[in-house]
Parts: sequence; C-alpha cells; structure tokens
Amino acid sequence: MEAYRTILQANGLSIGYHQGKKKLTVAKDLNFNLEKGLLTCILGPNGVGKSTLLKTILGILPAISGDIKLFNQPLEKYSSQRLAKTIAIVLTERPPGGNLTVEQLVGLGRIPHTGWLGVLSQQDKKKIDTAIRLTKIEPLRKRRMGELSDGQIQIAMIARALAQDGDILILDEPTAHLDLANRWEIIHLLRRLAQISGKAILMVTHDLDQALENSDQLWLMPPQQEMIGGPPEDLLIQGKLDLLLPTGSLALDRETGKLFSAKSSRLPPFTGSPKYQKWAKNFLRKIPHSAIESFHLEDNPFSIQIAIHGKTQYFESFEHLRFFLLQH
Amino acid sequence: MNVNLTLSFVLGLIVLVLLWGLSLSYGPVSIPVEAIWARLWGEDFPRSSWETIIVEYRLPKSITAILVGINLSISGLQMQTYFRNPLAGPYVLGVSSGAGLGVAITLMAGTALGWNLWGMTDGWVLFLAAALGAIGVLAIVSFTAWRVKDSMTLLIVGLMFGSLASALVALLSYFAAAEKLKMYTVWSLGSLGATTWPQLQLFGWATLIGLIPVFLVAKSFNAMLLGENYAQSLGINVGRLKWTMIVSTGLLTGSTTAFCGPIAFIGIAVPHIARLILKTTDHKILFPGAALLGAIILLACDSLSHLPGTASVLPINAITSLLGAPVVIWLIVRRNFSKEF
Repeated sequence: MEAYRTILQANGLSIGYHQGKKKLTVAKDLNFNLEKGLLTCILGPNGVGKSTLLKTILGILPAISGDIKLFNQPLEKYSSQRLAKTIAIVLTERPPGGNLTVEQLVGLGRIPHTGWLGVLSQQDKKKIDTAIRLTKIEPLRKRRMGELSDGQIQIAMIARALAQDGDILILDEPTAHLDLANRWEIIHLLRRLAQISGKAILMVTHDLDQALENSDQLWLMPPQQEMIGGPPEDLLIQGKLDLLLPTGSLALDRETGKLFSAKSSRLPPFTGSPKYQKWAKNFLRKIPHSAIESFHLEDNPFSIQIAIHGKTQYFESFEHLRFFLLQH
Repeated sequence: MNVNLTLSFVLGLIVLVLLWGLSLSYGPVSIPVEAIWARLWGEDFPRSSWETIIVEYRLPKSITAILVGINLSISGLQMQTYFRNPLAGPYVLGVSSGAGLGVAITLMAGTALGWNLWGMTDGWVLFLAAALGAIGVLAIVSFTAWRVKDSMTLLIVGLMFGSLASALVALLSYFAAAEKLKMYTVWSLGSLGATTWPQLQLFGWATLIGLIPVFLVAKSFNAMLLGENYAQSLGINVGRLKWTMIVSTGLLTGSTTAFCGPIAFIGIAVPHIARLILKTTDHKILFPGAALLGAIILLACDSLSHLPGTASVLPINAITSLLGAPVVIWLIVRRNFSKEF
C-alpha cells in the first residue's frame, strides 16, 4: 500500500551546489517519501537546506549523491518539459505581471501541455475552469493581477499550479507575507485540495502552529542531524520537534504544541475546573510564580485561588493576580 | 482571436499601406499617388526623373523605415519581457554604443593616431565599422551572460559597457579633426536614407533571421511574465531563451544601427503603445502587433522629417526622440508603469 501511494522517494540523498569541480554539500543522507493525498510540511531553521532540497526536487540542481526517484524512475531521467507536467510550484514573492487577468494567469499553467504557439485547446480550457472552481476565485476571473491583494494573488497562483495538472504541488513559504485570515484560508485550501485532488502537496513553512495543526506529515530538517519524517502528532509526543529548537532554551509543550521557555520554573499543581487551565498556564509563564504552591480555578463565576507562603488568596481576574504577584 | 483584435490588425495594415503611399509621394518633388499606383501595374511614369526618385531613393528609404520599425519594436518587446523592466530597450545591452564606437574609431581615430583609412565615407565602410562594434560589445556581454545567471546583472553589465564605449567615443571626439567630428555627429543623428539596394538586401536577411527565433519562442516569453523561477517550473529553458534574445536583438538592432545609426525611443515606446492598444500580454499577439505599429510609426516619422517645400530632411533620431519621449512620459504619468506588463 505504502509503495503505491509514494510519488517521490529519496534514499541517502545529498544535496548542494556544484561550483566548477568543487561540490558544496548543504545537507546529506536525506531519506523521505512524498505521498499522494497528503499535505506535507517541511520545517527547519534557515540555512538548513530547505530551498536547496526544493531546487533538487524541481530538477534545477542535480543531486550530489544518492537516489531520488519520481514514480520509481530516477529524477535526472526526466526532461524539464516532463517534469513541468508533474510538478508545479508556488513561491513566496508576488510575481510580476500586473496586467495579466486571473484567467490568463491560470492559463499560463497550461504552457507545458500546449504546442509551440501555446494555443489553448478545449481540454486546456476545461482544466483552467476546474482550477478556478476548486480555488473558488470565479469572481476574480476577469480582474487584473495588479488589482488583487497579496492573499488573492497567492490563491490565484495556487489555481495556476493546479491548472498545470501535475501530481505534486510544491509551495515555498506561500503565506509568509500574508495576514492571519489569509494564512488560514490558504492552508485550509491546501488541506482540501490534498484530499479532493489526491495530489501530493509539499510546503515549506516557518509557521509551526499551522504545520502542527493542519499538515498530515512533517519533514523535520534539524541542523546537523538526520531528517525526520512523520505525522506531526507523533513527532510532538516523541519530543522530536524539540530538535528544531535551540537546546536548553526553548521547548514545546507536549499538550498544547506551544513553545515555551525551557528555563522557566515548574508550574504549580492545578485543581478545580479544567476549562481555563490552558490560559492560566499561559499567564503564569509570563510572570515569576515560583512562590505559588497550588492553583485552583473556578469557571462559573470565574475565580482564582492560590496558596502562597502557606496562605490562601482569592482573585477575580488575572489582572488582580498579577497585581498581587508583582507586589510580592 | 476575437473580432476586435482582427479589426485592429486590419486597420493597422491599411494605415501602413496608406503611410507607405504617402512617404513615396511626399517629398521635395511631389509625385501623385495615382501615378505610383499606375506604375505598380506596369504603366510608365509621365516623367523619367520620377522613376529614379522612387526606385533609387524613396522606395529603399521607405522599406528601410519599415524594417527599422519592426526590428527595434521586436527587440524592445523581447528585452522588456525578459528583463521584466518597463524601461529596457533594444540598446540596453550596449549595442548602439558599440556600433557608435566602431564608427567613431573608423572616422576619428585616423586624425587622432595619424593614419588615414581608405576614403572612410563610403557607406559600406561605415556599415562594417558599426556592425563590428555592435558585434564586439555583444560578444563581451554574451560572455558575461554565459558566466552570470542573473538577468539583472546582465542588464547592468550591458549599461556599463555602453558607458565605457561612450567614454571612448568622447575621448576620440576630443582629439578628432573638426570635419571628422561632424561626420560622426551626423551619423549619430541617424538616417534612413543612406541604404542602397544591395545593403537593403543584407538588411532584409538580417531582419528575417533575427525574427524567426522570436516567433518560435513567443510562448516562452509569456511564461517569463511571471519571472524566471516560474518560467523554469513551466518547463521553459531560460538559458536558451536568454541566448535567443541576445542573438535576435543583436541581429535586429545591430543591423539597424549599422545601416541607419542609433534611433532612439522606438524600442522602448512602441511595445508599451502596442500593449495599450491591443490590451493583451500574450506575446503571440504582441510580437506581430508591435512589429506593425513600429513600421507605421517609423514611416510616419520619416514623412514628418521632410520639411515642407524644401529639400532638407531633419535627422530621424531627433524626430523619434521628440515624439517618443513625451509618449514615454505620458505613459509613466497616466498609468502605473510597473503594472504595464
């Protein structure tokens, strides 16, 4: 089953740049399987070789050593034309081309499939329509790129990549310049597309929260260490995600998936209503709290009760608690 | 292709033919269009001098104008799309400066260095010098293009070589004899009327060879609208496109500059006007559109360069600049230039 779902596979892959006869290895011994129908996110600090990996997958950089196979065939056997029919990309930067309409932009995705003049056939037009429908940008169809917001442009670029009709969609930090709502919209669009189109979607991102919440598979590229792949939930529980963080200073909360400072002292035992416990923890991480011996929460009506220096104190809000803690 | 587009092209062709007729009939000696029309169907001109004027002078000149218009517009369009820079023109790679340097060396180095090249005023000699200069600079720029991958670097290197060539020309001008300096200045003002039939033949071939690759890669230029990375992901060989562009613009602008001197603004302004009129970014429409528009505009400029009632002809470079500069300024003010593509 697994072998059947895998589209792209690497074994002992080393990637980097060729400078004349010298080879500059950026990352080595990479092993991964890219599977269809899944949203896969690559996480790793800057300079670890994420872009180099994408360029290698796109056939722009040849692999330094090891195997990389696309549909069980070595990647280097693919011509750029054939590769273009298999892999489409969306990049971070807003592309030039302000005078193109959205429809024309999406139509550019058909370039690998058309003849030398680039005339669109009925089938090409159908694929363009499907891409526009799936991304729900029908109202923008006749608008020019220059009139669109950054978020709309990225969605149109995703539509363009869909029209290219490959089995793999690669996105390099597609939401880096976008606001919260647009990020949410794009990542949910990608989730939906992975499920209904069956494509393998591979996305580089620095947005840990979104990757944890929405990806099916994570590829971790920790510095100087082996690449690790797996569902985000597994990796979080196994503590593998901590490998991405500077040792000793930052860690991930196994329960919430949130970052916290590893240096902060241990939290007091919690009792009472569990409803707002998460926010209580959130609050305590920001303030010195080592003196608190226990922490009791009531949610209706909201109240906080702490034991401190052997005495019990009541508070109506976090503001009051902070006032108290800062005075002691 | 929709109806509006077909209509624009038919209209353009009609205007082209009308202007062509006008440029043949108009001049110090007025020759009625009817007589030219009749001559086309085999009748003789009422005066034998008209035959000489048309065949030896006005016909080659008007054909030259059309070829220049096509060459510069197509080159400009290629450069603007490839470099994704609305101000790129056919001369950004230093072609005209190279040609200018070639001509300057031929005309002026004689006095500066104390040797005298045979005659030196002959059209072929100037053509050869300009062509060698243009090819020389293109060769250097191409070598750079082969070493560097980045298109912006290529643009800057082209501009630098252009400045370098201009500086050498300035040095030569400083030491040159007055009459040679004048000859160089006249060459640099551009002229459509200096081409003879044998030269025109060569010009025609250079144009044809320079145009063929452009129409073969119109699709690749469309992909370049989104930038190099996206073009590459669409299966376009960007390196090959770069060489196609260098060879094509080299041939087109090199031959134009060699035969007619540098002619300003057509290459920058015409592609923008073509985009404005045709309202498209599709290069399989823009290339023929810009070519047609370029030919029309150059023919019109040629007609404008004749002062009515006299035999004097204004320098073509001055006319194209007088018309072209306001157009470019108007475009910049009226529209957001960066959204022009």
